[in-house]
This record gives sequence, C-alpha cells and structure tokens, in this order.
Amino acid sequence: MAHEHHEFEPPIAGEHEQSHHAANYLMVLGVLLVFTLLSVVFDVVDMKGKTVLGVFNGSLLLIVLVLAVAAAKALCVMAYFMHLKFERNWKYVLLAPTIILAMGLPLALMPDIGVPYYTSVAPQREEVVHERAKEESEAAETRIREPVPPGSHE
Amino acid sequence: MGLPIPNSKLCMWLFLGTEIMFFTAFIGTYIVLRLGSVDANGVNAWPTDPEVTHILVPMGAINTLVLILSSYCVVAAHEAMAYSRFGKARLFLWLTFAAACVFLGIKGVEYAGKISHDILPGRVAETAEQAEQKFLREMEEVVEAGASAEFAQAFQDTRNRLTEDVSTSIPLASIAERRAALGPGERLPPLTPEELEHHAAGLREKFPSEMSAVHDPHPILYGNLFASTYFLMTGFHALHVVVGMIIFGIVLAKGTKLGPQHREYVENAGLYWHFVDLVWIFLFPLIYIV
Repeated sequence: MAHEHHEFEPPIAGEHEQSHHAANYLMVLGVLLVFTLLSVVFDVVDMKGKTVLGVFNGSLLLIVLVLAVAAAKALCVMAYFMHLKFERNWKYVLLAPTIILAMGLPLALMPDIGVPYYTSVAPQREEVVHERAKEESEAAETRIREPVPPGSHE
Repeated sequence: MGLPIPNSKLCMWLFLGTEIMFFTAFIGTYIVLRLGSVDANGVNAWPTDPEVTHILVPMGAINTLVLILSSYCVVAAHEAMAYSRFGKARLFLWLTFAAACVFLGIKGVEYAGKISHDILPGRVAETAEQAEQKFLREMEEVVEAGASAEFAQAFQDTRNRLTEDVSTSIPLASIAERRAALGPGERLPPLTPEELEHHAAGLREKFPSEMSAVHDPHPILYGNLFASTYFLMTGFHALHVVVGMIIFGIVLAKGTKLGPQHREYVENAGLYWHFVDLVWIFLFPLIYIV
C-alpha cells in the first residue's frame, strides 16, 4: 500500500475545484434498486390490454408508469452519480440545446410514420391495382354466368 | 476565465451531449416506428408477446441491476480517489469491469436466443405466405446439404402440399380426384397456418436432426422492424459497454501506480459509464416491458 500515505490529504486537489460533494451514494443506490424492482412488478402485474381499476387503459398505464420510473431513475443517476446537482449553471447551457436538438428527429418523423392514417392495404402500387381490377371483373363474370347454386356454402 | 471545471471534464460533457443526440435518434425512431406499425385494421400490431419476440424480462432486469451496481462502484471509486484511497479505488474499478463483463455475458445469452430463433433483421417471415416460402427454402437447404431420401421425400410432399394449397384433411394423392369433382367457382379448403404449423411439428418429431436447421413456419408481423430496432439499440449500447471496458482497462493497467494524477481520468470515465447506465435505464422499459 505504497500510496496510502496520501490518505490524509484533503479530498480536494488540483487547481480546479473538483466537483466533490459527499452524497449518500448507498442511499441513491438503494432508491435505484427499489425503482428497478418496481418496473419488474409493473411487468409481473400484467395490465397490458386490460382495464385497471375500472377506468385506466392498462397498456397506456403501463407505459406511463414504467417511463415515470425510468425518468426518476435517470434523474437520480444524473443528479447524484453524475454530480449534476452540485454543478454550476453551465450544465443548463450545455444540456438544454442538445436535448432540444435530440427531439428534432422523432418529432420530424412522427406525423408521417408514427401516426397511421392510412392502412397498409391501400391499393397504391400499380400491379396491386391491376390485380384487384382483374379479380373484380372475374368475380363479376362468374356471378353473371354461374348463379350461386342453392345450398352452396358461399 | 472559463468554466469552473477541468477542460477534460468539459470535453467529456460535450461528448456526452453528442451521445444524447445519438441515442435519442435511435430510441425516438424506435418509438415512432412502433407507434406507426399497425395492421390492416389500423390497430397497433407491434410484436410484444415474449413467446414470439424471445424477449426475456428477467435477463433485462438482471442487466439493469448489474449496470446500476456498476454505476455505484464507479462513484465509490471516484470517492476513494478523492480521499486518496487508491487501493479501494482499484477494487471498485475492478468490480465495475467485472459488472461490464457480466452485462455482456447476459446480453450474449439473449442474442443467442434471438439468433437461434432467426429473429434477425430481414430474416423474419411477416406473412403466412412468407412463412411458407421460408419453411420450404430451409427444408430444401437441408436436402441439398445431403439429407436422407426419406427426408427428401417429406420435403417433396410438403412442397406439393403448399403448391396445391389444400387442407391437410385431404390426402395429397386424392387432391386431383377431389378437384375434378368440384363445381365451377368452388375450391378445396385451403391449408391454414395452424395446419402448416402442425405439419411442421410432425416433421420435427419424425426428423429431429434434419429439422433442427428449419425454423417453425410462424409469421411475425413487423418482426423485421422489431429485430432491426432491437439490435440497433442494444447493439450500440453494448458497443458503448465495450468502450467503457477499454476505458477502465487503461486505468486498471496502471496497477498500483494509480495515483492522484488519475483523479480526473476516473471522474470522466465515471461520467461516461453513468451515461451508458442512463441509456439502459430507458432501453429496459421501452424494449422489455412496454
């Protein structure tokens, strides 16, 4: 333990004030573990596609709950483990523009891809349109020539 | 003048800023694609059944725990560095490295499951027709690789059955006869996907070794998009874990020479590692639970 003689140096060293603030990291760890357990509990409860407590759409409730837990965990990690709670205001200057820019792509894709306002069977491809027209005319011909015999399953 | 933090830390934070945009692009695109993945009735059809997607929630949960514990270890190492307890710091850095190995090991088990079920981008059959084609193609590959004559015959029968597209309730031999007896506009009952799966199960029982290379003819609508987004997000995350291991490996290679000059390095490595943890905190609910 050749280096242990440094032990009684003050914790702050160097020209810059290192972001050293004693937080109770074990407690933060405990909170994070409890939150993780909570997300697993939400999964085990199995509320997907059910009505919860008579009013809530289970699938939607699950999304809201697990994402709320994830956001809480993320805040814990950022505030204490990454010391953002103890950093000066530069953190806002640095992080706000990135977060705004990061939202750009999802928001730009949302109207065309995320919102399904047409169905996947829309006859927009040429060969599909032709095939359908052919099928329809054939069906019409069959109807004229051969009336459906009585007792047939159709 | 300047910010009240070391340049190295400012650089790390700027880099993490770009990383936020990098992962948000993937996660955001995944959310948008998933919302838009509807069936012909406009109902969301994204595959979520664990039986279909082979997503293992316990594995994801254990990996979340592993990363959170490793994040704690990094913080403890940083704390020990500040108090000049370098032996303790090294212990916690080794624990972090070990946690990263465990994480990648579990990830490997998950990937192996996906690969063995062929849940891979571009390889998933999305419709009943694609499932039939894939089933035949895989059987044919086994035949071409030199299977028994009996299996080759079973492949021919299966191909004929699928070409005729007639329910397995009617024997192959009598199809022509039954078809001749049909009135105009009538057709024999078609082969249902359930019958094909039953047929595949029968073949699997009869030819266990040959059929081990053939996947069940089970269509998964949006299975390819699922596989693409899954592997893109978890793959890039795993890559970040590997880079983290290199970063910790460099400082661990100093051995007992670890000293006050490495304080900044450990702090910045810690910031990077917490970010990797942060990404997983969002990937776990979004991929495994929702």
